[in-house]
Formats: sequence, structure tokens, C-alpha cells
Amino acid sequence: MTDLNSTALTFPSVEWFQALQELVNNDEEFRRLGNIDAVMGVMVGEKVYVITFEAFECTEVREGTEYDLIDADFFLKMTVEQWQDLVTNTRDNNGADLNHTLNTLDLMIDGGISDNATGDQLRADIFFRVNQSLQHFFDSSARLNTVFE
Amino acid sequence: MATVESRTEYWERAKEQGFDLSWLSQLQEHVAGEGVEERSANDTGRVQGSIPRGNVARFGAYTFRTKSEVWAYNLTKLYEEFITRQWSSATDIPWDTIQPLSDDIEASQCQLATFFTQVEFVASDVPGRFISTMSPDYQEVRLALLAQVMDESRHLDVFRKRALANGGGLMRMIDSVSDVVGGSTDNAREFTEFSSRLHITGEGNVLTLFRLGEMMAYNEAEKAIYRRCAQDEARHVAIGVLHLRYMNEFAPERREEIHCYLDEGESRQATGAGGENPAGQSQLTSQALAVLLGGGKDKMDEGQNILRAIRQRQTKEYFQRLKSAGFDDRIHNGRVNPALLEQYKAAA
Repeated sequence: MTDLNSTALTFPSVEWFQALQELVNNDEEFRRLGNIDAVMGVMVGEKVYVITFEAFECTEVREGTEYDLIDADFFLKMTVEQWQDLVTNTRDNNGADLNHTLNTLDLMIDGGISDNATGDQLRADIFFRVNQSLQHFFDSSARLNTVFE
Repeated sequence: MATVESRTEYWERAKEQGFDLSWLSQLQEHVAGEGVEERSANDTGRVQGSIPRGNVARFGAYTFRTKSEVWAYNLTKLYEEFITRQWSSATDIPWDTIQPLSDDIEASQCQLATFFTQVEFVASDVPGRFISTMSPDYQEVRLALLAQVMDESRHLDVFRKRALANGGGLMRMIDSVSDVVGGSTDNAREFTEFSSRLHITGEGNVLTLFRLGEMMAYNEAEKAIYRRCAQDEARHVAIGVLHLRYMNEFAPERREEIHCYLDEGESRQATGAGGENPAGQSQLTSQALAVLLGGGKDKMDEGQNILRAIRQRQTKEYFQRLKSAGFDDRIHNGRVNPALLEQYKAAA
């Protein structure tokens, strides 16, 4: 396993998400939270990343385009500044504090942060159904040495 | 029916693939070896896929024996999600983080906990009635409902514990002539009627409230309760959407009937009648929510503003679920409740 603490990883980048992938795939707690079958888009400003979860693992991380969001079950969209705030808060608190959980951000940021590109709420609801696992995924970034572009 | 040889091949293939989740559909295809009957002639309690025998008493006079009455897409997969995401109110909630709260906050938290205990009682009671009246050939539906009952019983247990945990105790039953107990969901006699009322309207509204929990929680224990419950509730909503989607496709002759259930549900959602939507206007629960969201009895106006935004969110998600299920024509043809349409436009 890579020594994630010593390697500076730029957010956002495929490498940063791959490091999270490695962390959760070796994390018993992530598995204990339950199975997760979802394709999640992450939109950081204009950049798009596609993260795939199957069963108890994160199976793929790749860079994508806005067109990929059509096939995602749901995507999380925030400005670069809002993402940086989330990642910094997660690092400082060893996990997102009450005001920075994905669920709270979705409720508090105008228009929400999570949606399905085609307005299919059944797929958008997967964000709620596996929310604990997604939160754990992003909370794991507290263990990374993150630098911003 | 699968043969021993085909089962051996299947087993080898499953091993090669590491028994991943595709194994579930392989099990169905290669071991059960039978499709789901459109009309079930099974009135003896024979488990799905097993070999029938004669001379068995016909004691299973199941009310629901037609696939299109009860079926929903992908329930096998959803059931696995149910099972792997279970939790315990005894061991997964950090009860030791609860500290004394001011009287108004504690009373509001307890009022809400009383409501949730009551509503989850109905949400476990009603699906339970349908399970035993459904042919065993529709095992996937039975399993999903059984898992829902397990979730709901945990919810009524965890909210009861919260009400009792910090000195407040259980508060008053909600104000409604036609209560959630003895109300329209409780009185549903037909599966689709029940699913429209409970899964789509009732649980959809409660899901938004559970998600809101993080904003009205005053300790880690309450946060954990609401987070866990929200995940569970979203699975229950999925049962309803998957069922309505199936009905739209395979029982279009029942669309008008389903629209009538939705008319009624929307009216209750918009007015708060029936007491099922805790965020509904002018209710004991919405007052409690305003206190919790605002941060005290003297900040209820602030809480009401947040609550208004939450109602809009409830409506937006409900409208999008209509779309997912194939019943969004009502949004465009003037049938949808006008008050909800207004909220939807405000949320857009």
C-alpha cells in the first residue's frame, strides 16, 4: 500500500481519487457499512471525475466529461472553492464536521449538490441510500496529504 | 428446471468470478430455474422454485396471486442492500454523547421522536399485513417487505429510546382526526394503494425529514440516528418507485386508479391533513421542527424559513420520483396539486 501521508496529492486529480479508492478498498469499516452499487460523478468546477462502486469496493476512478454525467446514478457538483472548503474541513476535523457533510451541503447549498442528470429521482435517491458509505469515502481524505492546484 | 450438470458449470463460473453480486442473478437463473409466474396457482405455501406434490391442503388462500399486483423491478438486489446495511440501535448509536438540553429543545426533540415512533409503528404494521397475503411465488416482494418491517421496527425502537433517554419522555400523539394510525395508509386494502400511500408519499416526506436530522441534531447520537434512518427510508421509497414503474409498464389499465391514490396523497402532503408529513403546516410536529431548526422557542421564525425550504425540497424530490415511475404526466396536464406545483416551481 502506498504511503499516502508522505505523498502530496493534488485536488482535484485522478491520483487523489485513486488514493481514496485504495484507502476504502483496504478499510474494513467501509465494507461494514454495506454494499454499494453506484456510478457517482464528481464535478469540481468544470472538471468531471467518474467513480464506480461495486459491491463492497470502489472499482474504478477516471477523469470524464459532462457527457459522462448522463450515465451516472448521481453526481455531486460544487465550485472549486466549495470543494476546497470541504476537503480542508475534512482534513482539519479528521472527517467532515456537521456543516460539511455531503448531506448537509446538499440541503444547505442553493439547489443542492447532488442530482441525476436526467431528473431520474430513483437513481438520484442512491445518494441517500448509500450516504454513509459516500461520507466515509470522502472522510478518508483526512488521511491524505492534499495540496490544491 | 436446472440439471445437476448445468449447476456444476454454474458453480465453476461463479467461483471464477469470486461470487460477486452477479452471482445473485446466476442463482436465480441456474438454481431456481423458473421464471416468476404471471398468475400464481400456488395455494399450498410451497416455496418458490420447489417441486410441488399432490394431496396438500390448500390452506394458502392468498389474496395477491397476480404478478402485476405486487411486483417491482430489481428487488433481489435491493434486498441485498437492505441486509448489508442493517444496524443496531443498541450498538451503533453513541448514546453517551447525549447531554442535558434546554427544556424547549428537549421537549421538541421528544415530540418529534414520539411522532416518529408512532409513524414507524404504522410503517411496520401495514407492510406486515400484506406479506402473508401474497403468494410465496413472489418471494422477492415478500423479502423486501420483511426487510422493511425489520427497518421500521428498529426505527420505532430507536426513536422511543431517544424520547426516553434524556428525561423528556414520550409526548402527545399528533393532532389529527384521521391519524396516521387508522388513517388512509393504515386502511389500505390493496397493494398498490398501500405502496403509493406509504412508500411514495409518506416515506418520501419522512426521508427528507431524516436527511434534515443533521441540522436539528444536538449531539452525535441524534445525528447518527437520523443518518442511519435516512438510508433505510430511501430503500423503502425505492420499493414504491420500482413498483409504480412496473405497474406503469405492465398494468397501464390501472394508471387512472394510481393517479387517484396520488391525488389523495398530494392533498395530504400539501395541507398536512392526516398528519403523515411532519413538515406539514400548522402541526405539532412542524412546530417542534421549527424550534429545533431555529435553535430554540424564541427562534421559531428562523426555523420556519428553513422548514419552508424543506417543503420545497420534499416536493421537488416527489415530482422527480413521479418522473422515475412514469407518472409525471400529472405535472404537465394540470392534475397535480396546485399548491405542490407552486412549491416545485419555487424550488426549480
